[in-house]
Amino acid sequence: MASRRRLTPYLLLFPGAAWLILFFVVPMYYMARLSLDSGTLETGFQFSWQWSNYGDALSLYQDPFLRAFEYAGAATVIALLIGYPLAYAIAFRGGKWKNLMLFAVIAPFFTTYLIRTIAWETILSDQSPVVSVLDSIGLAPGGHVLATAGAVIAGITYNFLPFMVLPIYASLERIDPRLIEAGKDLYASSRAAFLRVTLPLSAPGVIAGTLLTFIPAAGDYINAFFLGGTNNKMIGNVIQGLYLTNRDYPAAAALSFVLMAVIMVIVFVYIRFAGSESLMGEEGARA
Amino acid sequence: MEATTATAPYVRRESVLRRAWNWLREHAINIFAGLAIAYLLIPIAVIILFSFNDPIGKYNFEWVGFTLDHWKTVFSISELNSALLTSLRLALFATIISTAIGTLMALALVRHSFFGRRTANFLIVVPMATPEIVMGASLLSFFLVLGTPSLGFTTLLIAHVMFCISFVVVVVRSRLIGFDRSLEEAAQDLGANPFQTFWRVTFPLILPGIVAAALLAFALSIDDFVVSNFNSGTTVTFPLYIFGAAQRGIPVEVNGVATILFFVTLIAMGFTVLQQRRAEKLAAVRPEQEGEDLMGTAPVPPAPGGAGG
Amino acid sequence: MSAWGRTPNGRVRGLRFLVIAGLALAASLAIAACGGGGIEGDSESSSDVETVQISGKPSGDLTISNWPLYIDKNTIPEFEKATGVSVKYIEDVNDNQEFFSKMQPLLAKGESGGRSIVVVTDWMAKKMYDLGYLQNLDKSAIPNVEKNLVESLRGRDFDPNNDFAVPWQSGMTGLVVRTDLAPDVKSICDLFDPKYKGKVEMLTEMRDTVPLVMKCQGVDLSQATEDDWMAAIDKIGEAADSGQIRRFTGNDYARDLTSGDAAAVIGWSGDAIQLQADNPDIQFVMPKEGCMLWSDNMVIPVGAPNPTAAEAWMNYVYDPKNQAQITDYNYYFSPVEGVKPIIERIDPPAAKSELIFPTEQFTAKCDNAPTLSGEEETKVTEAFNAVVNG
Repeated sequence: MASRRRLTPYLLLFPGAAWLILFFVVPMYYMARLSLDSGTLETGFQFSWQWSNYGDALSLYQDPFLRAFEYAGAATVIALLIGYPLAYAIAFRGGKWKNLMLFAVIAPFFTTYLIRTIAWETILSDQSPVVSVLDSIGLAPGGHVLATAGAVIAGITYNFLPFMVLPIYASLERIDPRLIEAGKDLYASSRAAFLRVTLPLSAPGVIAGTLLTFIPAAGDYINAFFLGGTNNKMIGNVIQGLYLTNRDYPAAAALSFVLMAVIMVIVFVYIRFAGSESLMGEEGARA
Repeated sequence: MEATTATAPYVRRESVLRRAWNWLREHAINIFAGLAIAYLLIPIAVIILFSFNDPIGKYNFEWVGFTLDHWKTVFSISELNSALLTSLRLALFATIISTAIGTLMALALVRHSFFGRRTANFLIVVPMATPEIVMGASLLSFFLVLGTPSLGFTTLLIAHVMFCISFVVVVVRSRLIGFDRSLEEAAQDLGANPFQTFWRVTFPLILPGIVAAALLAFALSIDDFVVSNFNSGTTVTFPLYIFGAAQRGIPVEVNGVATILFFVTLIAMGFTVLQQRRAEKLAAVRPEQEGEDLMGTAPVPPAPGGAGG
Repeated sequence: MSAWGRTPNGRVRGLRFLVIAGLALAASLAIAACGGGGIEGDSESSSDVETVQISGKPSGDLTISNWPLYIDKNTIPEFEKATGVSVKYIEDVNDNQEFFSKMQPLLAKGESGGRSIVVVTDWMAKKMYDLGYLQNLDKSAIPNVEKNLVESLRGRDFDPNNDFAVPWQSGMTGLVVRTDLAPDVKSICDLFDPKYKGKVEMLTEMRDTVPLVMKCQGVDLSQATEDDWMAAIDKIGEAADSGQIRRFTGNDYARDLTSGDAAAVIGWSGDAIQLQADNPDIQFVMPKEGCMLWSDNMVIPVGAPNPTAAEAWMNYVYDPKNQAQITDYNYYFSPVEGVKPIIERIDPPAAKSELIFPTEQFTAKCDNAPTLSGEEETKVTEAFNAVVNG
């Protein structure tokens, strides 16, 4: 009886773990291997420890690389600035509209990612009223919004906003209102109560939201593809082009690795700095 | 008395401004939220609107005129239909497999403490934290070097299940954490063996969580573009069809199909939420809270002794 | 409880984690070790090319891969009625390179994914043939081709005897212009005029864009060297960096032209005619330097399941009557002799169009894309890709 119980978790875990190891971890190895190959598709690839693939690819494509992190960073910050107040409003001022508001936040997910990005092409096209308004405010240098960095960042922000709002909302919702009340009882103004009670307590949500926004955004290429111009391509576009058009697999694999490595570093530093065990599911541990 | 009437107009003017300002400050955040929500919904409105457009040529991005013609022919483009069917089939299989696997994993992770638990947790989180392009690219590398299986439906299925598992685990796990074990203990006290307990007590109660996870997996699979683009070979899914069509002019019917998908998903989601509420009321998994919402998080109940003190 | 159990010591827990991670990694490597059989290793190129085997009357299913919007609505049903063959027509060729990438793993194994005909541009057809991915045609089953192929498309460099490639449609790449927004654009060099900054677009198809820019730089394409290609790519790169070029596009330049986001682009002749329906100000302008001529060709890949029906199809569309329908829809020029009189009857304005029936004069300065050797191609493609995606 005791040994069977000991075995149960492993049996339950096995299919999932096997799938993830086989189709997530192992492919990483293969990608690493490809990144060190030499040759072309026509002549055949040979594994040859060709580290120069990394050097060559990085020196050729450093602009889109940096741009990807720039745009993703900008989009994350903007999403935070928009998303936090929105989450706050839903959590604390929502009342009976709460569900409806949450639904509105999730609604974009119900339309295909591509279609909603293309819809922005329509909305931001040079002749549209939206752009005329923006131009008159001075937000559209050159008279057009599409094919600029702004359009790409706007697209990324839009597409990932729900990822920012939902975790922040979840953590705001968990805050015990009595704590805020207590703060006010101790003569804190609304602003102080917010800054010193609510904000710190919502930190896990903010951290989760920023990560869930930044990480996918850094590797995105759809927004740059539809909304960007010649100078707005991100590293995702490059990798896609190298894999699917040029078939230069070694360079593509090398770039993918570097992208992942950089993101991992950023994430680890960020988590270390911010501290978050709730992300990894440590809470709810039962003996 | 006379003094007050003499000063009344002056006071009133100031207080109107003051009141307006106070009103604005109080509602600023609501106004902001309203604007943000409008921002979120605008593209959707545009998509639905343009499904009623009547473009002259093949490009559907300038409003020409209202027509229902394209709604009548909404399922007439055979390529669109076959791409949609492929996506639906793929999503169905991916959902079933990933939900089954993910639920088992979640059960293991929440209810048992075992050697390797932390690693397993880590293994679940990492795919969610990997950019899709890296996942797609690495799977492609895997299939290319291995040489098998050929890129197509099978590889798509493998890829989709892979990225869905993590999300299923997270959703089911959060459901399991709030689960009231005393019900299971009661069942066992009444003589049920572990299997019966699971099947007749636990499973029905976590079903809403499983259904939510399945819906999430389905949505992720149907909408997936990046990973699919890398691993589809010559198979065309709905998002891939749109990507191809975008280069030459998206037919109006695509907007129609997107609108249909939107409302179907909306209804499905609403349905799930209702089911969830009902199941909770019946099973008293959590005592009913005021203001319990879609996410299943409830505000902390007021302490019996009253706040403060 | 085992020693690995609830240890409050953080260090030991970390160690436990590492051990498990290490084991998992080792397991993965073990699985990975039994790999190979895919793209690594020398690729074998088959030295002998098969010829298609025609057997009896055409029947069964025929799967064709073609470019989008390249055929009218009636030809397929009429063919099906005439022959009893059931046609599955897939419009999945959006880009030569992309299509080749998708097909290559299959073709290398001798399969075609069910397709009996694919339609690709000249240089891609040659490339696929050289790699052994195509079959030679049985000319006895396609007499119409021999009879009706226009003079200008006979004896082409890469396939002088039409052994493996039969032209589907031919076209020109040149300037497509919003004459109301950019009335002065008459040559490729005009695209680099700062007056049009941010309103110019070029094609992602390297063999259309770069040779045209080379022409603007005065290069004689029949003598073009790798340096010439690189010089042109540099010029394009500069224009891209400075914002002169708004985007590199496939067919989607049409969207930008119609909305006015772009004023002058490098584009294709057939599209220009179709776009005029939306906006009469959009016109094809023959550049002063000349244009690029290309044809898209029907080829039969290895592993084609129904070559008999495939050749029946080729023969069918080379009958002027049937071809006229296709040309009248596409507005590209027809490789079939004898189409003009029919078009004069059914669509007189089209018959007069120089874009569909170009005169010798009109295309005097036009060239085919210059060929690149394997090594040159790699370098040039890489440089161009860096410009487009960088």
